[in-house]
Amino acid sequence: MEDNFEPKIIGFLCNWCTYAGADLAGTSRIQYPPSIVPIRVMCSSRVDPLFVLTAFLRGADAVLVAGCHPGDCHYQDGNYYTRRRFACLKKIFDSLGLESDRIRLSWISASEGPRFAKVITEYTETTKKLGPNSTKKEIFL
Amino acid sequence: MKGTKLKVTKSVEKTIVNFLEKGLDKKCFDIVLIPLKVPAGDSFAWVLVQDKSLLADANPLPPVMTVQGAKALSSVARKGKMSKRIAVVMRPCEIRAVIELSKSNQIDLENILLISIDCPGALPLKNYIENPKESENKFNEILRSAQNDKGTQNDIQWGNESTRPICQVCDKFTGTDIGACQSDLHIGILGVKDGNISLIPNSKKGEDILNEMSFPVEKLSNNWENKVKELVKVRKEKREKLQEELKPQIVGLDNLLETFSTCINCQNCQNVCPVCYCRQCYFESEKMKLTSDDYLMRAESKGGLVFPPDALLFHIGRMTHMSLSCIGCGACEDACPMSIKVAQIFSFVGDKSQEVFNYTPGKSIEDALPLKVFEEDEFHTVET
Repeated sequence: MEDNFEPKIIGFLCNWCTYAGADLAGTSRIQYPPSIVPIRVMCSSRVDPLFVLTAFLRGADAVLVAGCHPGDCHYQDGNYYTRRRFACLKKIFDSLGLESDRIRLSWISASEGPRFAKVITEYTETTKKLGPNSTKKEIFL
Repeated sequence: MKGTKLKVTKSVEKTIVNFLEKGLDKKCFDIVLIPLKVPAGDSFAWVLVQDKSLLADANPLPPVMTVQGAKALSSVARKGKMSKRIAVVMRPCEIRAVIELSKSNQIDLENILLISIDCPGALPLKNYIENPKESENKFNEILRSAQNDKGTQNDIQWGNESTRPICQVCDKFTGTDIGACQSDLHIGILGVKDGNISLIPNSKKGEDILNEMSFPVEKLSNNWENKVKELVKVRKEKREKLQEELKPQIVGLDNLLETFSTCINCQNCQNVCPVCYCRQCYFESEKMKLTSDDYLMRAESKGGLVFPPDALLFHIGRMTHMSLSCIGCGACEDACPMSIKVAQIFSFVGDKSQEVFNYTPGKSIEDALPLKVFEEDEFHTVET
């Protein structure tokens, strides 16, 4: 593991909750590692598991899917579907022996700026421990 | 188990065909979808049979699975209700795929009578085309072993080593609840020693047909059920063993890359998959065609890039899309020109992810597709 390894985390953030939460963390000037690359989606259920897989196989050190808390979805029940898909994806990762710690699902609301910062800090630390994603170096991928 | 006994005349296949002819005569159904031997005699194709004389070439249990039956039926019944009553004779895995497709509105089951048969397995297509005659004899031997069964252990050759690897470990080769297969009528040919086969109704439609054809529905002897359950148990153990053996070959990124390194990106496995029903596959869409700069960038950061890239993305991506509906029919493995163990890998992953939702694809039309429904209070272990 490299000592000065700075992980890159791809974040699929829902427009109504987590993206606004990230905004709030920024405007509140809460410090968190610059490891997250946010991608705004209209709902966490817009995230096809394939997006997560693509990011993972293209060398993202971790992938975060984040949206409204269950019950708070802007579209009523999008995030419940997200959770089911994610459960399936995680199982596939586990069955194939891929590092499922590199994918994560979190609920962060628009008012939870501090929680956003906490999740990113925490996840960056966990990912650092895992080291760089080995898919980065694979030529035959 | 209740049903009707049918005396075997000449052969099991002929008896089934006679039953269909009778059904056509009595207008219980108007048309039959069944595999027919092609004129050249070296393959089988699905044919919608109206003319009864064509049934002479019909084989309800062909030695190979050429086109997966559900694929054939969905091209007939995709655009809504059939105006004629159609009887469909298929292997149980094909019926399960039909049920899955009907849940995605790809097959309208109204006016369709699904008939399943105990399946002795199918031979690998590659072996069959090398020598169709010899393969047919080999398959016949396997099929007939059910009739010659004296009850000793190795009497039954079903799913022996000449059948496809996925058939050897198939624990859902039969109909009714035992095989998790919701056909309307199941034809049991295992363990029937007295020269009979049994027709077992498995739905209202099935019962009605037997009534219309004035077959008496009576209590059947336990022979069939016992024999089937016995074989299911053996297969379950075999399946577990095969999956344990498979693990060290596929688990982990390095192993996966090695396993799929021979993939030539022909996407045959996707094209023949009965439950891959999307009109346009994501992997064939413009989304997968990236700019040259994208590829150059990837090559630059890794030092090189294989072409065409993303083989692993294709396979695991497909798993994320269809593994919950994977009925383990083995069509993908038959279609792979590089002999990758696609079906074994996909059904291994499928078994695991289906467990998460306690879902068995094809078991019942009532069980909703897991990703189409949800509960408010569930799967808290995946949220952090």
